[in-house]
Amino acid sequence: MGSGDEGKTKKWAESMKKVSFAMLTFLVFIYLFVGALSDLLASSVGDPSFAFPKIAGWRLSGEVQTFSPQTLFEYINGAADLYLMYDFQALKVAEYVNEKKASVTVDVYRHRTPTHAFGIYSQERLSKADFIDVGTQGYIEDNVLNFFTGAYYVKINSFKTGPEDREILLTFGKKVAENLGEKGTPPLLLATFPVEGKVKNSEKFIAMKFLGYAFLHSAFTADYELTGKKFKLFVIESGDQNDCRDMIQKYLQQIGNPEKFVTEGRYTLSDPYHGEIDLHWKGRHLWGILNLNDQELRLKYLKLFQDRLTKKE
Amino acid sequence: MDRKVIGRRDFMKSTLAGFGGLFFLPSNAKGQESKVIELKGKERKFVYRTLGKTGIKLPVINMGVMNTNNPNLVRAALDSGVVMLDSAQTYQRGQNEGMIGEVLKGRPRDYYVLATKARLPSNQTTGLYTEEATEDAFLKKVDLSLRNLGLEYVDIYYHHNVSKRESALYEPILKALEKIKKEGKARFVGITTHTNEPEVIHAAVDSKIYDVILTSYNFQQKHYVEVREAIARAAHAGIGVVGMKAIRGGSRQTPTVKNAGAALKWVLQDPNVHTIVPGYITFEEMNIALSVMEDLTLSDSEKKDLQKEASLPGLYCQGCRQCLGQCPEHLPIPDLMRAYMYTYGYRNLTLAQDLLLSLNLPTRICRDCSLCPVKCSIGFNVSAKIRDVVRLKDVPSEFIG
Repeated sequence: MGSGDEGKTKKWAESMKKVSFAMLTFLVFIYLFVGALSDLLASSVGDPSFAFPKIAGWRLSGEVQTFSPQTLFEYINGAADLYLMYDFQALKVAEYVNEKKASVTVDVYRHRTPTHAFGIYSQERLSKADFIDVGTQGYIEDNVLNFFTGAYYVKINSFKTGPEDREILLTFGKKVAENLGEKGTPPLLLATFPVEGKVKNSEKFIAMKFLGYAFLHSAFTADYELTGKKFKLFVIESGDQNDCRDMIQKYLQQIGNPEKFVTEGRYTLSDPYHGEIDLHWKGRHLWGILNLNDQELRLKYLKLFQDRLTKKE
Repeated sequence: MDRKVIGRRDFMKSTLAGFGGLFFLPSNAKGQESKVIELKGKERKFVYRTLGKTGIKLPVINMGVMNTNNPNLVRAALDSGVVMLDSAQTYQRGQNEGMIGEVLKGRPRDYYVLATKARLPSNQTTGLYTEEATEDAFLKKVDLSLRNLGLEYVDIYYHHNVSKRESALYEPILKALEKIKKEGKARFVGITTHTNEPEVIHAAVDSKIYDVILTSYNFQQKHYVEVREAIARAAHAGIGVVGMKAIRGGSRQTPTVKNAGAALKWVLQDPNVHTIVPGYITFEEMNIALSVMEDLTLSDSEKKDLQKEASLPGLYCQGCRQCLGQCPEHLPIPDLMRAYMYTYGYRNLTLAQDLLLSLNLPTRICRDCSLCPVKCSIGFNVSAKIRDVVRLKDVPSEFIG
């Protein structure tokens, strides 16, 4: 090969390098863009497209309103902060009216996961509510019907519906629940709470910063009442054991009792804000009791909890 | 020689530009006092201000309770010097008030100041009250709040979430507010707003009914100059002013500011703000907020942090329209920036696509310009954002929401 050919080959190789680099950059750009765009599309389309149902005798009044995380406060003002903590994604609001000038407003909140929808629902439900079989669970009172189903939290309010209020709310609730698709089940971890003494429907999901500490994640809690004593059980389910170890280490550091090596087992913590807490770690779970001084009862419930968690695994 | 008369508003705006968009008052504002409080055996010196003509003396930081159901956090706040707790009937459907009631049991009634609020149904589009908003409906909510709290009276009951002058002056609610004061169910009455704040604050002053105003006020509000002026008028009229959303970054809901303490101090540089009710949910956040009670001075590094955050372009076009006329193709840049915000800020692709399709954009956008001549006043890379977002108009609509 002559030097002229060599030069041409070199030039060709260099230009191919530039082209390859440009193509690679372009492909990466496309990949990033498509990835970002599909992520956006997923967050918008991922849920089944929901349509407000047709209800006999009622018509939609005005446009369906949509609120995003940035605009939710315009609808529910300061209460929006809490919804955002529960990974609120979007809200659709529709108002129905009938010939008698009664009105029903349906708010459909979509959250990132069914657990988050349960979480915000649990924050607002009272354990003594009048529960109904709408969605996964719901409750009804004068002019109000709320329920959760899948990743949705639905709030229905009525006005001037008179003596037929309950029937009207139930009709709306059932139709909306149907359109939202498969109802799913409550979070599975709720079944691990011991039954004896549990205040029914007191379970809550705390989405973040449990007990007021940034290093503790989300947790499920339930209220208990036994022989005049009121206390609370909680369980944190983590991604892996290292995460649990990290949480315990940080908690021990927080209360001024740091330990370099933390293993599975029981920890009794003197928390300056919460008093004495018994905390247990096994596998991916941390569980414990709040507000219970009775040692014997504490041990009993922690064992019951452990047995049920082990069965679940 | 003609001299251009600069009005007060223009002066303040030009001053703002000089400070990189923020306005700092001297840290030793009038109308405040230091109070020595003994807490857990230690003496601490807190800054106190008086809540207008109510005469209530409050530390400059208190607690917005709405985001927490942790009674021990509320107890810790009270035990650390907080006096005022702020709730609302809608928070967790009354359970927030219920939790506070449990915490307050056994504490002497003059140990704390309790503020809560209720709102009535309004038209989402107009912001005006509907026919369901009656005097009786409001009075029922007040009674429910008192039952939830287990109290015979609250210190402040607010007319909640007002965004229009007409709503601030809505007769049925004003009558209800007068009634609850007369009946001793509320010592004072107030109004809350976080939309159109200047309009609502001015209306509240004009009404001569309200004793306290609770308003959004932070260094990232685009219109904080107008808010500041309205607050000044209210304070001058003897109305107590409570600030909220101090660390929320404008209209955005999640806390976005990096230096929360500095953001709180910025609000308190204004002597016409008598206290703030940040909504902390961890003990660490509580301690940061409470540290401000002892020292309101903004350090130079805190000022720099705030100036930096105030001028961050981020996603939000400021709507200054200085870009218009700079694009040789006369593209509707403010609308395109809005589409960008809908896409990446609101994550609302439907809204973004609808907007793009309504703009009748040319087929080729930005491709014929090798260099973009548009200079954005807050540093947006306008051409990059435009090229990014216009792709959305070609995505089939069935793929979107």
